[in-house]
Amino acid sequence: MNLKREIPTSTMSGFALSAVLVLTILNILLQNIPTKIQTAGDELLKLNSTEGVANAVTTVVVYFRGFDTLGEIAVLFIASLGIGLMLDSNNRCNIKAESNFMLQTASKFLFPIIMLFGIYVMIYGHLSPGGGFQGGVIIASGVLLLLISHKEFEVPHSVIVLLETFAGVSYVLIGLIGLVVLDTFLGNFLPHDISNMGLLMSGGIIPIIYIIVGIKVGSEMGMIVQNLIKRSDNV
Amino acid sequence: MFEFFNQPEVIKIIVIIGSMALFFVGIFGLLTQKHLIKIFMSISMIESSLFLFFIGLMYKKSFLAPILTSNQEGFTNMNDPIPHAMILTAIVIGMAVLALGVSFAIEYYKLTGKTNIDEMTSLRH
Repeated sequence: MNLKREIPTSTMSGFALSAVLVLTILNILLQNIPTKIQTAGDELLKLNSTEGVANAVTTVVVYFRGFDTLGEIAVLFIASLGIGLMLDSNNRCNIKAESNFMLQTASKFLFPIIMLFGIYVMIYGHLSPGGGFQGGVIIASGVLLLLISHKEFEVPHSVIVLLETFAGVSYVLIGLIGLVVLDTFLGNFLPHDISNMGLLMSGGIIPIIYIIVGIKVGSEMGMIVQNLIKRSDNV
Repeated sequence: MFEFFNQPEVIKIIVIIGSMALFFVGIFGLLTQKHLIKIFMSISMIESSLFLFFIGLMYKKSFLAPILTSNQEGFTNMNDPIPHAMILTAIVIGMAVLALGVSFAIEYYKLTGKTNIDEMTSLRH
């Protein structure tokens, strides 16, 4: 193997250009280091009271880092897509063994309660501990209970596609409306009065976005669970 | 007796030692185990140790959770909400990566019938 092969000038110039760009960005970043980085949390807590949301973690996740959360649910969607491609659920069935009679009866009793609790955690995410991610995972656990108790149960693929598309599109749409109205992506364009803090109808777009995140996480996690639990006949 | 453990320095030392112990248990499993699912379990354990480290380092005994209730006046004397939000992100990403890795392991087992990483030699030649 010849180690001294010629390097094309286009590669060298591209490398030099990217090095210059990286150095420029590092220079800009190093000149703008915030002096009070230790008190960033206190500054955010002060800013938080302007949004009228009682749960400060929700404000940070959905509002101050809302674009990051959009990327996060995109990562979750890509993982769900990869699992769906790897474990194609066509020609598959649930676990072969007949489930217990007690499990079947209890699942009919427990499933509505689990769904209700998941929706509660999702809707009250701006007032109490919890939120979209947690509520979505609770709903997916309810789907898992039905999958292990009923042999024939299956979440229809069209329902998942509808929910997921609705949630993703409306997240981006709300962000773009904020961009148009307030010149900020995910700007809080709905009324968010501080005197309403602690009520269900408070915080403007923040509870709406967390409910959307909950719908998306719930459908994606339900799909992941369903793809993982189904297995083909020949194994 | 338990007052000793409420000092902030002691809490931080306990958090650091405990999470580092969990981290090295995960590293040990990652280096010694040959089963693919056990390797994913070790990676998940390392992730959990990092979550504990991140949250526990910012914990202060006298401060409250960053959620306003009717007993409080404003957002004062509260813990920093940024680590909670960051770890919420990290937990979701870790779960997605773990589920994807497990699905790869399942499909590999279906195709070849192997779970031991020493036997996975199909790309070595």
